Amino acid sequence: MSLLSIRDLRTEFSGPAGIARAVDGVSFDVEPGEIFGIVGESGCGKSATCRSILHLFGGAPARIAGGQILLEGTGDIARMTERDLSRVRGREVAFIFQDPLTALNPTMRIGKQIAEVIRCHRKVSKTEARAAALDLLREVQVTSPERRLDAYPHELSGGLRQRVVIAMALALRPRLIIADEPTTALDVTVQDQILRLLRERRDSTGTSIILVTHDLGVVSQICDRMAVMYAGRVVETGSVRQVLDTPSHPYTRALLAALPGQTGRERDLTPIEGSPPGLISPPPGCRFAPRCRFARPECAVGQPPALHPRGETAHLDACILTEVPDVLA
Amino acid sequence: MSLLEFQGVERRFPVRRGLLDALLRREHVWLHAVRGVDLAVRPGEILGIVGESGCGKSTLARIGIGLQPADAGAVIFDGAPLNGPDPKGRLQMVFQDPYSSLNPRMTIGAQLEEVVAHYRPGLTRAERQGRVARMLDEVGLVQETAQKFPHALSGGQRQRVSIARALCPDPQVLIADEPVSALDASVQAQIINLLRRLNREKGLTIVFISHDMNVVRYLCDRVAVMYLGEVVELNDSAALFAEPRHPYTRALIGAVPDVHHPHREGLPVRGEIPDPFAVLQGCRFAPRCPLAETACHRPQSLDALASGGAVRCWKAVSGTLS
Repeated sequence: MSLLSIRDLRTEFSGPAGIARAVDGVSFDVEPGEIFGIVGESGCGKSATCRSILHLFGGAPARIAGGQILLEGTGDIARMTERDLSRVRGREVAFIFQDPLTALNPTMRIGKQIAEVIRCHRKVSKTEARAAALDLLREVQVTSPERRLDAYPHELSGGLRQRVVIAMALALRPRLIIADEPTTALDVTVQDQILRLLRERRDSTGTSIILVTHDLGVVSQICDRMAVMYAGRVVETGSVRQVLDTPSHPYTRALLAALPGQTGRERDLTPIEGSPPGLISPPPGCRFAPRCRFARPECAVGQPPALHPRGETAHLDACILTEVPDVLA
Repeated sequence: MSLLEFQGVERRFPVRRGLLDALLRREHVWLHAVRGVDLAVRPGEILGIVGESGCGKSTLARIGIGLQPADAGAVIFDGAPLNGPDPKGRLQMVFQDPYSSLNPRMTIGAQLEEVVAHYRPGLTRAERQGRVARMLDEVGLVQETAQKFPHALSGGQRQRVSIARALCPDPQVLIADEPVSALDASVQAQIINLLRRLNREKGLTIVFISHDMNVVRYLCDRVAVMYLGEVVELNDSAALFAEPRHPYTRALIGAVPDVHHPHREGLPVRGEIPDPFAVLQGCRFAPRCPLAETACHRPQSLDALASGGAVRCWKAVSGTLS
């Protein structure tokens, strides 16, 4: 049984120009103890998908318009009221945001903020909560943790702040942590430290992690399985090695071919021409078809194609072509 | 022979730390953003400057086109010291965020025409428009773009406009400060190809400032690595990535996540870039360096290596780096 099963999730944002279907029929499972990566470019719906899990839309005019978010033993989160959600947030599923400075209260000492998370959900004394906060700072390998308890967020570096946010996420021993671009604002040497920390925490606590990122390299480093999103839909999913080393969907292939690390200096990079479609009235058929080098007339009609196995089991993609030529060839 | 040369360039910023310090008229604290940078840009090359946040690479870029003065040292452009922006516009810059560097209330055509008119006051309106049309064509934008406002363009198109604007005065050197960092990978590739083409076909010299090691490795001929205001290593791109000498360069390359090789060797570097106010004697990377020893706390110079390139690490120079 999967820890989390998302089935045909649809999330809409309403605006003056109409309703944008940011998440339009997304399905995937997250297994216990697994790190699941969701990748895609800006506007593909990766953040909207993971924010939908806890209904964290930050006041944006968004609503879950359909589908199910099944958390093992808890039921369908998609239909929960705010009251029920408050028992899931933090305790069952925790969230780590991209920018740790905005996720922390600038007027409150670190120790008190972590303790507050604990005291909101458990009946413990202030002293016990502070001791627990200290343990959590040690757990996320903060140096001289006793001193940091009394620091304010602005006194910490970006990497230390993100460690504090991770400590708060771990505080209630959630079964699932959703991390939305947790290392994007950090320098690469610090990113490396934070990724190692996340994996190490998964190994020792057995928590599952959903990692949302635009960086395929980050997914390759720490994820077990992954989904590639494009224009509100999952276009390919499988193990990280299946998807990155033998990608099958033309979009995944094009995305990998566009990376500078994959091409010798003597040849030009292979960009994807054009831009992603608008989500208010997306084109019929496969949404990548207008930019796809291999598109045929049948690609651009009807409903968007569903995910189906490609060769190996558990490696699925949403391309109707039976043979996709090598992009670089 | 170099086209643009930094000679012992220093830049420090006065920082008052708080209201109390100001009231008590305490001395400024100095943030040393760039310290003693010697760097020569060769004509026709793409020189990469890499480093993490706060290493001084953007400050160096602004000094390089004369937007900011150096506190000490000099910038020599085309044989003469540079004092402020070049009046002929031979040095141009492209910034990271194309949206904030374009005027939201002017059409693209009008903005570009203004630049042409500034550098070539004698041209007629039709001649200016003709030049704008050629610039748009040069960067791969359709002519209708001239009638549009910045908000109607995508991020990639805006960055093309920024490059077109920089090309208007026919520059010899383009300094690009993180020009692709705000763009998605598929669009990033378009801009990188464009820069390569401008370099190859027009002989445009490019100083490319970035934190992205993969982009730098692919695009640049030579690379300078900066750490806390200093150049710590300089070499041909291929040699630098194949055999990084400075422990910081090694750490930086080692920390880049690779799409196909998930398991890397080596230990992560400790900690983060330290407080830039802290006065450090000797090697500024030593507090984080896994190979540091006592002798690293004496001043380090950027020394040329027999095998090519230069490195600011006595252990790398003496060959005692394990």
